[in-house]
Amino acid sequence: MWGLGAEEWQAVALSLRVAALATLVSLPFAVFTAHLLARRAFPGKALLNGLVHLPLILPPVVTGYILLLLFGTQGPIGAPLKEIGVIFAFRWTGAALAAGIMAFPLMVRAIRLSIEAVDPRLEQAAATLGASRAWVFATVTLPMILPGILAGGIVAFAKAMGEFGATITFVSNIPGQTQTIPLAIYAFLEVPGAEGSAIRLVLISVGIAMAALLLSELLATRVARRVGGR
Amino acid sequence: MPPRASLRFAFLSLVLAGGIAPVAQADTVTVFAAASTRNALEEIAAAYEANTGDEVVMSFAGSSSLARQIEAGAPADIFLSANPGWMDELEDKSLIVPETRNDLLTNSIVLVAHDAQAPKVEIGAGLDLSAMLAGGHLSMAMVDSVPAGLYGKAALTSLGLWDSVEPQVAQAANVRAALAYVATGEAPLGIVYATDAVAEPGVAVVGTFPADSHPPIVYPVALLAAAQGATAADFLTFLQGPEARAAFERQGFGVTGD
Amino acid sequence: MLSVSLRHRFSGFALDAAFDAPPGITVLFGRSGSGKTTVVNAVAGLLTPEEGHIAIDGRTLLDTRTGVSLPTHRRRLGYIFQEARLFPHLSVRGNLRYGRWFAPRSAPREDMARVVEMLGIGHLLDRRPGGLSGGERQRVAIGRALLSGPGLILADEPLAALDEARKAEILPYFERLRDEVSVPILYVSHSAAEVARLATTVVALQDGRVLRQGPAAEVLGDPMVLPTGVRGAGALLAAVVVRHHEDGLTELSAGGVPLFIPRVPQDAGRKLRLRIAAQEVILSRQRPEGLSALNILPGTVESIRGGEGPGAMVALATPAGRVLARVTRRSADLLGLAVGVECHAVVKSVAIAPEDVGGGEGTA
Repeated sequence: MWGLGAEEWQAVALSLRVAALATLVSLPFAVFTAHLLARRAFPGKALLNGLVHLPLILPPVVTGYILLLLFGTQGPIGAPLKEIGVIFAFRWTGAALAAGIMAFPLMVRAIRLSIEAVDPRLEQAAATLGASRAWVFATVTLPMILPGILAGGIVAFAKAMGEFGATITFVSNIPGQTQTIPLAIYAFLEVPGAEGSAIRLVLISVGIAMAALLLSELLATRVARRVGGR
Repeated sequence: MPPRASLRFAFLSLVLAGGIAPVAQADTVTVFAAASTRNALEEIAAAYEANTGDEVVMSFAGSSSLARQIEAGAPADIFLSANPGWMDELEDKSLIVPETRNDLLTNSIVLVAHDAQAPKVEIGAGLDLSAMLAGGHLSMAMVDSVPAGLYGKAALTSLGLWDSVEPQVAQAANVRAALAYVATGEAPLGIVYATDAVAEPGVAVVGTFPADSHPPIVYPVALLAAAQGATAADFLTFLQGPEARAAFERQGFGVTGD
Repeated sequence: MLSVSLRHRFSGFALDAAFDAPPGITVLFGRSGSGKTTVVNAVAGLLTPEEGHIAIDGRTLLDTRTGVSLPTHRRRLGYIFQEARLFPHLSVRGNLRYGRWFAPRSAPREDMARVVEMLGIGHLLDRRPGGLSGGERQRVAIGRALLSGPGLILADEPLAALDEARKAEILPYFERLRDEVSVPILYVSHSAAEVARLATTVVALQDGRVLRQGPAAEVLGDPMVLPTGVRGAGALLAAVVVRHHEDGLTELSAGGVPLFIPRVPQDAGRKLRLRIAAQEVILSRQRPEGLSALNILPGTVESIRGGEGPGAMVALATPAGRVLARVTRRSADLLGLAVGVECHAVVKSVAIAPEDVGGGEGTA
């Protein structure tokens, strides 16, 4: 279909799966971290903020290498996880982990901004009405930051779809397992004469990203209206 | 002269001297070379610089990336490729000086293991590579584009082993990344150049692929058509001389007499 | 009964207050910066004072000596903020119901229909807060606080953000709150008129200290207690509506003395409380004749107190109650006013504004 070969479709399907997993799993962590950074003061807060932004600043290949050292089957986190059957090395789960980590700072930034936009006096009001901190978050803050979460999720999804350096360094290029669209494009570019396949994949990538952005705009406006009290 | 003016004078003279200097002093040679030649070339370039006072600027990367950069107009004087295919491509596009093309180095590919105690094996058609991997991955450079990967795949194919191990192959972006997988123990085995195994203490060579199982691994070198000045040709000659030869052999390369 | 005692220090400000709030509306009365909001926020748990003890009906909310400090959400309060603070993502109904989810089983369940009817917000239930006027929002806020089944209601200058017309609209709802709901209310205000109209008990605060606390008429009638300055002074009188006249006046009887004020909605026989602003009172030794003012109260001077300026605050004991009059010292001297001297307090009917007249329940 559309002149795409089996390997190319495989890359598209894998990319969607990897980006979806990366975004969905990162979401709760990002919300939690964003809330911590937006609302609480604690020793080491600047450190946490720096750590969260590290993937944005380090060369992706370096991030990939660090993931290899930590989450590889010989690594301090990867080895015990292997015991319980969770393996990242050379697997699509590893590609999802790399994509998730690279997209994390973008998600946290978007969500943190929207939490900071919520009037803390409303949260105070909720507390006076009997809501504990967790309930305040669930019933007041969360509904109001929904547009921000959506925006953060979409940006993260797009970033995950485009992640290359950390992925290829951490889990290598294995068609069907870790060869996401960016890796496939890279592989095609490296072989003389395969530019056509590369360009087709680029077009698909762009198409998916645009669709995601349009969808997010639509949803965000709808939700923002609801949350704005009209 | 008042202090302000003397400062300006000094600054101006420095600038002028800098501008005039190249004509009077050292020349620069830009070399694009395959990543696997790095260790050797750095040694050779240092010797050359000490001898002549000229400067050697080197860029190491995958031969495919370098070739594409040259095609796109990168200002290189000399190209040392890990694979004749990329040199052919440049020759077809008239980007090299054909008379200066020379097959400078040879290399071999080896099977490396993470475990230093791993037993040596004879690499032939009967080798049960799958069993040796025991569920793990075989780390190689990209098999369709990076020369080390191309040769590895060719060797495995000619020995009839490719189909059985293909599902377990993990393709790294370049040979050094492939080495890293074996060095960290993530992949039990890997296929790399003999020269790479020399450079990485974390892996042990368990076998060498027979030379007839793959096309000869030849590293052609050539002067690029865009090269300027006599220094480039000078360095090319130095690369083919005895001092360079010794340096290459120390790293595990074979040097063709020409 | 709420009992509060606090000590807290900010930069440049020291709060040291202790008071009790019996059932009804207890107003924390003082000017901006006197510490009223600090006290309320401490009671709410939004601020922890350096030292303090706060308890409602024996239930301890805060005791810095034993380290007890209930978090805000466990104090069972209803807080009515100045800015309403309705949740924009919920409808009015959603906002009203919000507190109900978290109210413990043992909390008294206010009937939603009754509260909605009392506040007149039935037609707003499906609307969103964004489209409501300031007055409507505040009424919903009152309802929301009530429906959370609180043991205490806090109101921090709830009318300050409204214009005069809205204020006049909402004041009666607070009066109903005071009269129909058994929950004590702690109400912060710097407006003498609001205080006069709503307060059962007044705690007058100045510079972080309690000047005086007690029944409203007593505190407001005390010439020594002027937390918002001399211009805010005004005594509270208790009166009964006698009848409404055709020319737009209502006749009241305050301790037997007839008083005339512009027409009020209350029926004959209903009790009222009236605030007589000290500024509006003219004093006369003899009962004046031929004056336009209709209200003349005979009385005896209880005290005269002069300040730095030209004014003097005269407290008069009349059959209607204590009346405060602010005149110039010169006049006081010229009239020969002294403790025990008989004189009359004269007030124009039109000087008694509608916001100075409140429902009579709860007047001590």
